Amino acid sequence: MKHKLFVRIIIDIVLVFLVIQGWWFVALPIGLIGGWFFPFYAEILLAGIAYDSLFGMVPGMGFSGYLGTIVSIVVLLIVSGSKSLVRR
Amino acid sequence: MTYLEARKNRVPSIVSGIALACGIVVVFGSVMQFFRPSFFPAMVTTLVRPFWRAELSLKLGSMRTPGELLQDNQFLERKLDDANVRLKTIQSVLTENAELKALMGRASTTPYILAAVLKHPPTAGYDELIIDAGDDAGFSVGNNVYAVGDVLIGRVAEAQSQTSKVRLYSSPGERYSVLIGPDHSPATAVGRGGGQYEAELPRDIKVSAGDFVLDLSLNDRPFGVVISVLSDPAQPFEKVLFAPPVNIYELRWVLVDPKIRLI
Repeated sequence: MKHKLFVRIIIDIVLVFLVIQGWWFVALPIGLIGGWFFPFYAEILLAGIAYDSLFGMVPGMGFSGYLGTIVSIVVLLIVSGSKSLVRR
Repeated sequence: MTYLEARKNRVPSIVSGIALACGIVVVFGSVMQFFRPSFFPAMVTTLVRPFWRAELSLKLGSMRTPGELLQDNQFLERKLDDANVRLKTIQSVLTENAELKALMGRASTTPYILAAVLKHPPTAGYDELIIDAGDDAGFSVGNNVYAVGDVLIGRVAEAQSQTSKVRLYSSPGERYSVLIGPDHSPATAVGRGGGQYEAELPRDIKVSAGDFVLDLSLNDRPFGVVISVLSDPAQPFEKVLFAPPVNIYELRWVLVDPKIRLI
């Protein structure tokens, strides 16, 4: 259990680093893996919001300015749904 | 016996919990974006800014030890000193170039020979110049010596193999015929030393400070500028004090006319 928590923290740190660097398309697969292995992986959601806050959310961009948040929500739902189906 | 089927019910409850959380995030985010559009960007950027700054510092190489910074500082100070010395040398060469141009512009149409002043008053004694050309350049005793601006300042008093001594007309006791003032009144300039002359003129000749003093050649070359006129009502003559338009203490180059000999 402790080992799993430690790995989760490591992945979170990597995710934060990637978001700060603006490498969203590298952060997304990492978040996807995290979402698959860890329960209720809300970090991907926060990463999406943080990414949009840093680089998006510009007036005039419309929904494309919220792509990170939208994608992270979709990914989290898909992964959680898939997990529930596979592990039933 | 009753068995708990916890697993079957737990998984959908997690999914629905996540969906609920996502819904809350979406609603909260939408509301915040509607009322405070800059809330999230401002907050997250504030949190991330130190990391970005640190990254920039690393890229620019400013995250170095004090020892390295001091070493760099010393190196840059040395380079700055070198550059300053070079700049001063350049300025000196530029000044010299301008002086030489001024001299050679004139010399190109005349047979004058350029000579550098090795010593000048007050370091040279006897109110004379030592120049770096002599017999080898064709100089002989009595050759006229000019300063920048075609100003006659003296004559060669002694020509050695590679140097010459120039007796200034302003040396004490030296005499030279000149024309003073706008009326070109003839007078004899008597050297007072230190680049100063005096001459006597009848009192009724109007001369004032700033008037030019010319030598007697056909070219009307400038010889000096009147500094002051000392007049005594009891005397029939007034004393005119004048000096050459160049500062003999700052002479670096002179021109020597090897053809004209005034002994």
